[in-house]
Amino acid sequence: MDLPRPGRMRFQRRYGERFIEAILFVFAMASIIIMLLIFYFLVREGLRAFVEVGTLNLVLGQKWHPAGDIYGIMPLIIDSLLITALALFINISIGIPLSIYLAELAGTREKDILKPAIELLAGVPSIVYGFLGIIILVSYLQSSFDMLTGRSIIACSILLGIMFIPRMTTICEDALRAVPWEFKEGSLALGANEWQTIRHVTVPAASSGIIAAIILNIGSTIGETMAALLVVGNVPRIPSPIFNIFGQGATFTSVIAGEMGEVARGSLHYQALFAVGLVLLVVVSILSVMADLIRARIQKKFGGY
Amino acid sequence: VKIKPSLALSYGLSAFLFLSSLACLVLQSELNSITPLWEFALIASFLISVLNALTNRTWRVGLRSMALLSMDLIYILAVFILIFTGSLGPGFEIKSPFGIGASFGFKLVLPFLVLATSILTAKDSINIQYNYSPKGRQALVFLAVRLSAVLAILILGGILFIIISKGVWALSWQFITEPPRKLGQEGGISTAILGSLWMVLGAMIVSAPLGIGAAIYLHEYSRNVSLNRLITIAVSCLNGVPSVVFGLFGLAFLVTHFGISLLSGSIILGLINIPTIILTSQEALKSVPNSLREGSTALGATKWQTIKKVVLPSSMPGILTGLIIGVAKASGETAPIMWTAVTFTAAPVQMIYGVVPNVFQPVNNLDYHLLNLISFLGAWDVEKNAWGTALVLLILVLATNMLAIVVRNYYRKKISW
Repeated sequence: MDLPRPGRMRFQRRYGERFIEAILFVFAMASIIIMLLIFYFLVREGLRAFVEVGTLNLVLGQKWHPAGDIYGIMPLIIDSLLITALALFINISIGIPLSIYLAELAGTREKDILKPAIELLAGVPSIVYGFLGIIILVSYLQSSFDMLTGRSIIACSILLGIMFIPRMTTICEDALRAVPWEFKEGSLALGANEWQTIRHVTVPAASSGIIAAIILNIGSTIGETMAALLVVGNVPRIPSPIFNIFGQGATFTSVIAGEMGEVARGSLHYQALFAVGLVLLVVVSILSVMADLIRARIQKKFGGY
Repeated sequence: VKIKPSLALSYGLSAFLFLSSLACLVLQSELNSITPLWEFALIASFLISVLNALTNRTWRVGLRSMALLSMDLIYILAVFILIFTGSLGPGFEIKSPFGIGASFGFKLVLPFLVLATSILTAKDSINIQYNYSPKGRQALVFLAVRLSAVLAILILGGILFIIISKGVWALSWQFITEPPRKLGQEGGISTAILGSLWMVLGAMIVSAPLGIGAAIYLHEYSRNVSLNRLITIAVSCLNGVPSVVFGLFGLAFLVTHFGISLLSGSIILGLINIPTIILTSQEALKSVPNSLREGSTALGATKWQTIKKVVLPSSMPGILTGLIIGVAKASGETAPIMWTAVTFTAAPVQMIYGVVPNVFQPVNNLDYHLLNLISFLGAWDVEKNAWGTALVLLILVLATNMLAIVVRNYYRKKISW
């Protein structure tokens, strides 16, 4: 008989368990550590740009002109806002009806085909979207609107809007589906028809989930890089007039991705790009935390959903 | 359902107007032959709508609906008059209004106006058919919802169709097994495929233990609610970090230590994957019922033994799904590795003893290869190979995603507690 001695077994049990728990604890802390590291390195590399250009000049500066060492990110902010708003409009006006269709109207067979198909499409790489955007969308817009170049804010908005439809649909559909059956049955029993039930019961009950989905989508639209870089034109300037969505523009991400390849390490331009990255990171992190808080609220509201 | 012939006619007309104008908008076709047809359809739908409104005695419904209906009718009539009098003819163009950088020509404005008339006609006909009742509103909204669902599916299906139909001509055995020549104009993409595979493998080696371990700790060990909350927030923050920011982080941190290398790229892609794996693994662990854990503990197993022998095996399908989604995600990222791991090269991945790749070398990668081909588009003849690369990339990513869905559905049917 080859049984381990009881004493040794107890020792193994006690310290082996402790050891494993400690390792797992470190793994769990990794997310926090990585997040802090990302902030640390972006601040470290970008700080000098804030000091040298001046925080106000950097954030409110109306010109981004690396050749003259002028770094103001107002054009990027305005272009990004325009693009995000338009993309979100497209995204919501197609994504939410699609999610209502999937959650409430579609039959079992349609759902069985559509749901996986939409989930699949969420995985199409952004560079592929960018490629399609440049070959099809940009040339379509160029000839259709008689533009100087089809690479424009509107091209970027349309592309990003379409790109995030699958994600929007999946999250919204989950939110709609999480609404307890009793709510809908109660409404139907009171004589409301299906649309009245959706409009006045299901959608309001799922509203926090839908809002969380929208916030997440804002985050990913602002942070999307390759597709934006390829179709936006990457000319950082404030559109004139301000609603001129048919001109070229640049987003936070496109400027970083487009210019980082050519700058010298440690130059002011390099640091300004890190500063842009830092601003982007702060904005997106705030959005993520907001979405997370809303989701936590839903969990409380519906208990377990 | 019995529909009056006049209503059916107006539905038919609006469907014709809708489809034809949408087709003209998308295809940018010449409008000479279709304009007379549109004129006829417009005046016909105007007259039929008036007729329908009169025969159904719509004026009894209410002033507001009446006002809306007459506004719609006036709009349709106005479009008809514009076309009929020729003020909206082939020479028509609004040149850069307000100084914006676009012009709105005849070929754009006319189909757009016609599209709007078709939507209005359909709306009014439905309302008249249901006599402006809530039921009519429901029919209207459900029609709109169905249409936008169809639109979304057309767009998304169109994207797949275009890539497949264009890319399939570039595909061949040589394309997959040969390295690129002449800056990707000729030859294949074998080095890019291999580079991608090694990088994704590296990413999974980094992210799988970290992600699964963190999920186990959060779900099985941690009793500290506020710490849990903090980690959850960090995870969702990390999930939202734009990929280009990961690139900056890698440039500032990893490249200074490891250089532009496979190792840096793998670590960055691994970090990007961690939140996905944590979230899916947590879901999987949640689905294991507590009775299993309690049974194992009652038999004298320690916590770790319970997790290893009971909890992990039964949550494996969910965890596996998360890992596969991670593979797909990592193989589709370009921005984070652009300056940290890749180079546009035809050189194969160097191997040590022919088994493991040298992790300190930069490699080629499918996404980066495609990016470079795109940037050569106007200058060299690379379009065919670019479509081929896009298709191969798409197939890889979609096939892994499909695998994840299949695994999930298979086990969802099989396991029932």
